[in-house]
Amino acid sequence: MVGAFDFTPAIPLLPFAAFLVAMLVGHFAPRLLPKGGAIPGILATAGSLLLSIWTFLTVSGGSYHAQDIYTWVVGQNTFSLHFGILVDPLSAMMLVIVSLVAVLVHVFSLGYMNDEGETGLPRYYAGLGLFTFSMLAFVVADNLLMAFMFFELVGLCSYLLIGFHFREPGPPSAAKKAFLVTRFGDYFFLIGVVGILATFGTARFVAVGDGVHSFPHLAEQALAAAGGEGTMPEHVAHFLDVIGMNAETWFAILGLLVLGGVVGKSAQFPLHTWLPDAMEGPTPVSALIHAATMVAAGVYLVARMYGFYALLPTVLAIIALVGGFTALFAASMGVVKDELKQVLAYSTISQYGYMMLGLGTGGYIAATFHLMTHAFFKALLFLGAGSVIIAMHHNEDMWDMGGLREKMPVTYYTFLSGSLALAGIVPFSGFWSKDEILYEALIYGAGDSPILLAAYAMGLLAVFFTGFYTFRMVFLTFHGEPRSDTARDPHGVRWNVKLPLVVLGILAATVGLVNMTPVAELTGLHIEYLHQWLVIPEASDFAALGYDNYHHLLEQFAGYHAADIGPLAPGAVSLALALGGAGLAWVLYNVDSPTEHTEKLGGVKTVLYNNYYQDEYQVWLAQGVTLPLARAADTFDQGIVDGVVNGVSSVSLFAGSRVKRIQDGLVTHYAALLTLGLVVLLVAFGLLEGWF
Amino acid sequence: MAVAVEYYLLLSAAVFCTGVFGVLTRENALMFLISVELMLNSANINLVAFSHFYGNATGQVFSLFVMALAAAEVAVGLGIVLVLYRNFDEVDVRNATTMRW
Repeated sequence: MVGAFDFTPAIPLLPFAAFLVAMLVGHFAPRLLPKGGAIPGILATAGSLLLSIWTFLTVSGGSYHAQDIYTWVVGQNTFSLHFGILVDPLSAMMLVIVSLVAVLVHVFSLGYMNDEGETGLPRYYAGLGLFTFSMLAFVVADNLLMAFMFFELVGLCSYLLIGFHFREPGPPSAAKKAFLVTRFGDYFFLIGVVGILATFGTARFVAVGDGVHSFPHLAEQALAAAGGEGTMPEHVAHFLDVIGMNAETWFAILGLLVLGGVVGKSAQFPLHTWLPDAMEGPTPVSALIHAATMVAAGVYLVARMYGFYALLPTVLAIIALVGGFTALFAASMGVVKDELKQVLAYSTISQYGYMMLGLGTGGYIAATFHLMTHAFFKALLFLGAGSVIIAMHHNEDMWDMGGLREKMPVTYYTFLSGSLALAGIVPFSGFWSKDEILYEALIYGAGDSPILLAAYAMGLLAVFFTGFYTFRMVFLTFHGEPRSDTARDPHGVRWNVKLPLVVLGILAATVGLVNMTPVAELTGLHIEYLHQWLVIPEASDFAALGYDNYHHLLEQFAGYHAADIGPLAPGAVSLALALGGAGLAWVLYNVDSPTEHTEKLGGVKTVLYNNYYQDEYQVWLAQGVTLPLARAADTFDQGIVDGVVNGVSSVSLFAGSRVKRIQDGLVTHYAALLTLGLVVLLVAFGLLEGWF
Repeated sequence: MAVAVEYYLLLSAAVFCTGVFGVLTRENALMFLISVELMLNSANINLVAFSHFYGNATGQVFSLFVMALAAAEVAVGLGIVLVLYRNFDEVDVRNATTMRW
């Protein structure tokens, strides 16, 4: 019987086909390409969406799927490398999110790119197609190496799309920055992949079938053996002997190496600097990057291999701290920005910080939940910002806006829905997920882990900032009196802008209802659907990817204990903080003609405007530290290494220049040398052999 | 009565030394050629002598090859001598010393 899983490979391949069509037809016969490639892209991503939904429904029926597609390196007496597909609740959910956002971004691009008369559209849609393909293939990857390959491809696509307007000075430089900064993290990821393959002999996320192993499970066995239970897997034991480290230390190193890639892609401190610059790309691309692809890839990777991270308390604590710190750090910078997309950029960094916080504190469900809600409301906010930017004739400065509420109601109300979700105001989606992350951080932190508690405190403080900058943005853009001529008479937007906004606006408002933990606690109803979704029955081959297994691992290996705190009080605290931030924004900015209040911050303002001098410090790292180091290495290479080589060759050169003089062109001398040589040989042999 | 093989060897050595002496001392390219021929022929004498000594025709066949080689060498050599003469108006080998480092 033909089931959904037979078509799963087509989910990523359809956008790939759209990429090929847009690129080849766009190059050889551009006149044949309808809407510059938008139509093939929309059809392909819509196809992917339908197949994803079918897959999703099949998975919700309790059947999961793992399959090797193609083995591209066959190992003799060692591991093989392959492409494969893994469909479990997590990847099925992510497939739907990615393909839905991709469809909507394609549709929105009709309004943002086609209607605005942009050139180079086939290149744009080819980029979108490849981007969607890479992310979807990354989502269904069943092993870490394949995940890494598509992770890199995602990075390449972001480079191509951020630098779409390559004739202007800003975008190419932003594209290069995004590429290099994420590549810096991916470098560690690559080493981590090699390390995991070498240690475990496999990079699979889950073991289905006989004689197949998965690295999280092998790591679990090894750590259990180190604790005195069971036996160490032979391959791992041998490798640990060779490097002479104990299992815990080495696994933590591997976890941190892979985390390097995550920090780069998900724009966590200190590799977050590329993301605000990436706003140079077209706005629909920003929506795609921030909501569903690229930035989501990092967090998704941690969730994907959570069975590994759940074993490592040190790494979890680092993830939680980095996440909590990033959430606060980025939120504080978002407070002073003047440009619409810049505020959204910092909010993205901050929100992904929350997800990392959730993963680090053992809130696997909460983080996944936030990944989902964030995908919807952040795509919505970016597309809303895109709509405003169309209306404002590509002016992004919020101080030139104001009063757009009456002029563009659809954009306003959908944007408001996204903003309420972002700020975490009940009952919009962001509230439920963010609150759950903070709740998980609190209960595990209060369960005797001060580090998690510190991360929780930072996350909680960030809620206030989030509420403030979100509503500062809303009030400055839509409320008050118009502050420029374009704001008085904005450019209209068409259905192709409004439709994605409405779809996402409804989702951003409602999608949080799938996992209302506080309500479930209060009423005793079993309405935590996402929780049930992510639990895999123990009898299944895929049980290792289920929440129950992760929970068990967290308690057994990471020593996480939940304190007995109800979800209502912490939820009320974070809601109060969000409302406080929003209220402050209301007081300061919801007036007819708001003024800049940033001056009151004094010296802090300068620091915030300059993003804590992170760019300067990274440039200093590159120019002040790395460059001299590279120079020294170059001197060593040119002077010492090349010097030895050149010295050796100069000896032969000198000897050659002297010896060649015996070849003087006079034939008699050659004959004499020949004869002499013969005589010397004869005498030498004679002496050695004793002829005389 | 056959002549003992040692005498042939002595004769061959004498002819060879004459050839070597000629090559080392002469300035005339033609004399060079003649000296080289002498050396080749001294080798031929050896080949034929040992062929006779062992009652085996191999050496004689070989000497035929050496003669053919000598003929070819003379053809090339004389060509060189002619070119030498055209370029330098004489056949003194000391003049042609430009083919060197």
